[in-house]
Amino acid sequence: MNETRTLVSPHTLGTRRGKAIYWTTLVSIVVIFTFVFVFPLYWMVTGAMKSPDELADVPPGVFPRHFDLSGYREAWRQLDLGLYLRNTLVYALGAWLFTMGVDVTAAYALSKLRPMFGRAVLGLMLATLMIPPMVILLPAYLTVKDLPLFHVNLLNTPWAIWLPAAANAFNIFLLKRFFDSIPTELLQAAEVEGASPARILWSVVLPVSRPILGVVSIFTIVNVWRDFVWPLLVLPDSQRRTISVAISSLAVQVPQNVLIGSLVIASVPTIVVFFVFQRHIMAGLTAGGLKG
Amino acid sequence: MTTARTLVRPAARSRRRPSRARRTVKRNLTAYGFLCGALICFAFFSWYPIVREVLLSFQKTNFVGEARWVGFDNFRTVFADPGFVDAWVNTAEFTLLALVVGYVVPFAVAIVLNELKHARAYLRFVVYLPVMLPPAVAVLLFKWFYDPGPGLFNQILHAAHLPGLSWLDSTSTALVSLVIVSTWMNLGSGTLIYLAALQTIPGELYEAAELDGAGLFRRIRHITIPQTRLILLVMLLLQIIATMQVFIEPYLLTGGGPEGSTVTVAYLMYQYAFNFTNFGGGGALGLMLMLVLMVFSAVYLRVSREEAR
Amino acid sequence: MRSRILATALAAALGATVAGCGGNGSGGKDTAPLDAGTKVSITVGCMPAKSQAAQRKEWLEDVAAFQKLHPNITVEGKDAFPCIDPNTFQAKLAGGQMEDVYYVYFTDVRGIIANGQAADITPYIGQSKEYPNLDPAVEKVFKNGGKVYGLPRQNYSMGLFYNRTLFKKAGLDPERPPTTWAEVREDAKKISALGDGTVGYAEFSAKNQGGWHFATSIYSQGGDMVTADGKKTAFNSPQGKAVLQNLKDMRWTDDSMGSKQLLVDADVQRMMAAGKLGMYLGAPDNATALVDQFKGKYEDYGMAPIPGSAGTLMGGDGYLFSPKASPEKIKAGLMWLDYAMLTPGQGQLNYARAAKDGRPVGIPQPKLFGQNAVGQQDRQLRADAANLPVANFKPYEDAYGKVPGKLEPPQAQQLYTILDSVVQAVLTRRDANIDQLLADAQKKADAALARSGS
Repeated sequence: MNETRTLVSPHTLGTRRGKAIYWTTLVSIVVIFTFVFVFPLYWMVTGAMKSPDELADVPPGVFPRHFDLSGYREAWRQLDLGLYLRNTLVYALGAWLFTMGVDVTAAYALSKLRPMFGRAVLGLMLATLMIPPMVILLPAYLTVKDLPLFHVNLLNTPWAIWLPAAANAFNIFLLKRFFDSIPTELLQAAEVEGASPARILWSVVLPVSRPILGVVSIFTIVNVWRDFVWPLLVLPDSQRRTISVAISSLAVQVPQNVLIGSLVIASVPTIVVFFVFQRHIMAGLTAGGLKG
Repeated sequence: MTTARTLVRPAARSRRRPSRARRTVKRNLTAYGFLCGALICFAFFSWYPIVREVLLSFQKTNFVGEARWVGFDNFRTVFADPGFVDAWVNTAEFTLLALVVGYVVPFAVAIVLNELKHARAYLRFVVYLPVMLPPAVAVLLFKWFYDPGPGLFNQILHAAHLPGLSWLDSTSTALVSLVIVSTWMNLGSGTLIYLAALQTIPGELYEAAELDGAGLFRRIRHITIPQTRLILLVMLLLQIIATMQVFIEPYLLTGGGPEGSTVTVAYLMYQYAFNFTNFGGGGALGLMLMLVLMVFSAVYLRVSREEAR
Repeated sequence: MRSRILATALAAALGATVAGCGGNGSGGKDTAPLDAGTKVSITVGCMPAKSQAAQRKEWLEDVAAFQKLHPNITVEGKDAFPCIDPNTFQAKLAGGQMEDVYYVYFTDVRGIIANGQAADITPYIGQSKEYPNLDPAVEKVFKNGGKVYGLPRQNYSMGLFYNRTLFKKAGLDPERPPTTWAEVREDAKKISALGDGTVGYAEFSAKNQGGWHFATSIYSQGGDMVTADGKKTAFNSPQGKAVLQNLKDMRWTDDSMGSKQLLVDADVQRMMAAGKLGMYLGAPDNATALVDQFKGKYEDYGMAPIPGSAGTLMGGDGYLFSPKASPEKIKAGLMWLDYAMLTPGQGQLNYARAAKDGRPVGIPQPKLFGQNAVGQQDRQLRADAANLPVANFKPYEDAYGKVPGKLEPPQAQQLYTILDSVVQAVLTRRDANIDQLLADAQKKADAALARSGS
């Protein structure tokens, strides 16, 4: 990372006083951050290793008395977390597939094929960004309950997660903006070669769009994983719940240490994703945030 | 990108082309072919529900028989509910509190982080960690911390020889407690976005200001803030929009209590629909919330478009 | 989707048969038994979840035996744990996601019937052989305007649940639990004096459970929730004030109710199982939850009749039928419920098997049949198979029938939401003004009752 000049000049930092202040700030920030953001997680992970009696201790012990994983085992077994993790995975992957299929093609059409009324369509899509999902929760729920025209009930089916996930204007916006930046000559060349639009999308546009596809993919998957109120409503069947909904309604029924164990297990997948895709996630965050 | 040109072969250029009109039709057909998936998804799950919300708020339905038109009855019911005003007040209070903490703090944190030359990756990672927890997990975790007995927070206070608080169990602290969870789990994204914005500020500006004898805080006021003005504005609106929809915190932490002090508009809407089976009343609340948020959203879109320019 | 088509096909087929036989044009009473040749498949709610291994095994055995008896009927259980999640129950109901034979709490039955979300099963009730033996007080729950809508599974009346071990520790006699609210207060003080986070008495105050327990407490004081005609509230009364004053004194004057409030049943059970709680109001089956879910020990718990004993809340659960269910499904459902829920020595009332499966037997619940011969037989079977220290429940059981049981009020959930706030105020604010709170609540609740027009 090239060092550009920031608020405090390198010169000031070079002085003795500057150095002292810098290091004091650095150390205190590291300590505070660790305490505020990591310690609660530590407390959670070790909390599941304490017995219910131990959890009621005042003052609580910083370390569990025994290294005991039965809280986790019980959480896995009693709450059937495997099932819910699997459910959530299916919802997330399906939502990802649909988002990819639907949003990428739409953004491509709007960016490169530029049909009549394309701008109006884009405008209508972007307008939905002004209406947050929570606000249309009830009508959206009623729609899924009895899909207009088809009169199909999508409740308790993965479609209730997959299809609405694809109606994501923000994804289309991000993708379209990226596609706009792909030089037209590149596409014209392929077109002249007789490649169909689908072929161009597949073998010219997509390969150069990997970064943005990565961002959209991760956010789609993580969003499904994090979502709460929508799956709470559209997947009422207790066997089809997502992990978040399942623990929030089941975990109250079990001893405290099992509850905490279930929280840890539920957060492992996203934390792992974060470890692996840290760079992409942060890059995507700023890409979306700045221009969103 | 340079390879692109070499792909164009003269031979291909000379191929006979269909008429212009036919090409236009064909291109439009293909384009709408590509668009149809999105159009269907949007039509069913975004556009139609918006219309349906309006309809719903003027109807009475129990889903067994046909829905009836009832004019402004639902609005009257909702207005007559003493919890209605409280819910708006709570929502506004939550939004304001969340702004004070959740808006100022990440910016300050970002400014400090931007100065640090060590442990950068660690600090960024750590600050974003809570964002990656499923919100339900973060909220349930804090529910345990808030336990006035053996809960973590009161134990920390006791260790510091301070009196414990009742957190979720008191009308005076419950809403603040919700704001704390909400801030904890969302702080990271704001911080990282500000950090990215700060890095775009040219160093020369600071240099020049320093030469003019501007101190640290003057530099923040006259350079850092103006240079990030738009992103600050965008984030302000985004946060207002996000916090006004707050639901999961009251739903999982307090159930709206104590004494309704944490019932937000979104939560009241849910209660109407799913606890009192009054979808009309819920629809009326949803419509009102939608109108209010649309105002903020419209401002946001304007600002962000300006910024994108 | 497929099942609906199937049902339609069946209905059409049946229509043809009935027409062929000349029909039974009598006044809607369809007493004809289910034709053994008619294939029917029903979905039934509240099958025990995988985590409840023993109960699940018994359910599956029952289904197998039942289907052997009636090869034309297929019972498809839908498991859930807990069977009702109050947060999503209404959503499920509104979404038409209920099973053909679906599980409900007594609390919600009245509202569901009023909303037209349950099928009228009066014409087919003859399919349940045990129906005439039900305790009329229980049967009444599922009736409205002379029509029958469902059958009970469990019923209970609330009493005082207490921790015998803590009683001993605090120098109290576990054989002599408190019988009045004044005694509860005294004992709670002594128990909380044990320190170390021990709570003397706990009360629910969130998720509508505060209102539910307020109803229980006001009944115990001889008060009522609504007037006899159900059109007006009646809780703003000396009895209602006494309930709240008692809580206020315990919470603030004695500090015997702990500091954590906004509790729900699971929180309180967790405290009880961890040995940190002396007493709370509950039904006998709390013992099962304490042991199965929260790893408590049966020997620790005892149950007494509700303090004051001027009345108690009668609650329970049972099954209603989907309004979309065909007559065949309703008949088959009634036959199944009769077989698995209501016949002594069978299904859930097969105590010998439960004991053999290592499940606790001896809790005085359910009491579906009252004092008649069937009730006697049921009680005898349970006593024979008991494997619990049943003596611990004796004070409660002896008083059963002496304490008048009362049902929940109309618009129960709405009233409970309103009263939740009241109980929360008393338990979280030292300066809560009881008169004012009750007056405000009365206003809101009267409006709610008026709106519903009941």
